[in-house]
Amino acid sequence: MSNQGMTAASADKQMAAINKKFRVTGISTGAFSGLTYGIYTVLVLLAGRYAPLAGAAGLLAGPYVCSGLNDLFAGIWLTIYNAKSGRIREMGRSLNTFPGKMIVLGSILGGPIANGAYLVGLALAGAYAIPISALCALFGAIFARIFLKQKITKRVTAGMLVCVVGAIIINWAKPEGSPNFTLGIICAFIAAISWALEGVCSTYGGAMIDTDVAVNLRQLISGIVDLFIILPIVGGLGLLGGTLSAGVPVIWLAVAGLSAAVSFVCWYKSNSTVGCAVGMSLNVTYAFWGVFFCILFLGQAITPTIVIGSIVIVLGAILVTMNPLDLIKKGE
Amino acid sequence: MLLPARTAVLNYLYGVKNADVDQIMEALKPEYGNERQFTKDRYIDHVMSLEANGMVNLSSHDLDKNGVLRMFYEINDDGKTAVDKYVDKKYRHK
Repeated sequence: MSNQGMTAASADKQMAAINKKFRVTGISTGAFSGLTYGIYTVLVLLAGRYAPLAGAAGLLAGPYVCSGLNDLFAGIWLTIYNAKSGRIREMGRSLNTFPGKMIVLGSILGGPIANGAYLVGLALAGAYAIPISALCALFGAIFARIFLKQKITKRVTAGMLVCVVGAIIINWAKPEGSPNFTLGIICAFIAAISWALEGVCSTYGGAMIDTDVAVNLRQLISGIVDLFIILPIVGGLGLLGGTLSAGVPVIWLAVAGLSAAVSFVCWYKSNSTVGCAVGMSLNVTYAFWGVFFCILFLGQAITPTIVIGSIVIVLGAILVTMNPLDLIKKGE
Repeated sequence: MLLPARTAVLNYLYGVKNADVDQIMEALKPEYGNERQFTKDRYIDHVMSLEANGMVNLSSHDLDKNGVLRMFYEINDDGKTAVDKYVDKKYRHK
């Protein structure tokens, strides 16, 4: 082989290595985002078991105290992280652009609306709400068709039907002693739809902005809107004060905020490296982890409907977002 | 106010045929060079993420005289449309 040929071969080898590293990063951050979101879910539920959050009056105050504190903590953790890597000024610069404003819209859909509904759903329907919220992958595909003009293939349609079947299985037998079970499931649906819309906004706006900065903005804005706009409206300021002075639930929410921060950084990172479809399908494995940790740590009863339903929904969500054969082929 | 760094990378590629990461960093150094985020790893991440989002293409790659990989990127039509839509003309490189 000529000298030039060898150089070209060596350049190809280095190029292949850097591409592989990029792809492995995308897949592993996507999978890790699912695991950490499962951890976040169980920690928020745990915080809700302490007074004054446990047994707080009203449907919305408790979940919005949790959601707001969690997102604000996540935003603070991310601000420290971005300050350390010299990206504080990126936040103002990003907000100054149109894509940055789309991120703000996405964060209001995903934070106060979706996360609030998710936590109300969890409070009313327990772990049953988790896999329902994972239907965001299904709605994501539908909205991508409508707003981003992406086509819905036969595989995606099949995956959607599998998701619907999973949701029906989960709701087949209502657990005893949850009078508002159906309302909880409806809230989880609202979460799924709003998260899917957030996905559209962040895909549209996020391509030109550093993803770590986009997530930071998302969590800060979401926490501030929850605590300073929504909470006064739903009459939850007293509960916020009580929770802050109780101490222990705040510590759990700070740790939950850290897991949510890690999860979102990993998810956005995965979306921007291996694409939204693969990133989302890896992220929705949180439904499996969330149910698994609830059974392990919170004494969630294992019923055939929740186990089979969760697995079916996760499989359907993966089918919606990607061809499972691609993962095997390209993962080599 | 400066553009976000990733937008600045795309905006720079709008004005040139193609460029590798070192050339991009050299061009942006006067404005961003004194920031802690101005590292080669982060700029490789910027161009590869822009590529994953379908705004730039890898046009070629080779080794420099030290045997270090150079990746040349060029903006594509989607990237140009995004710059036209979202980046004010005053930021364009001549």
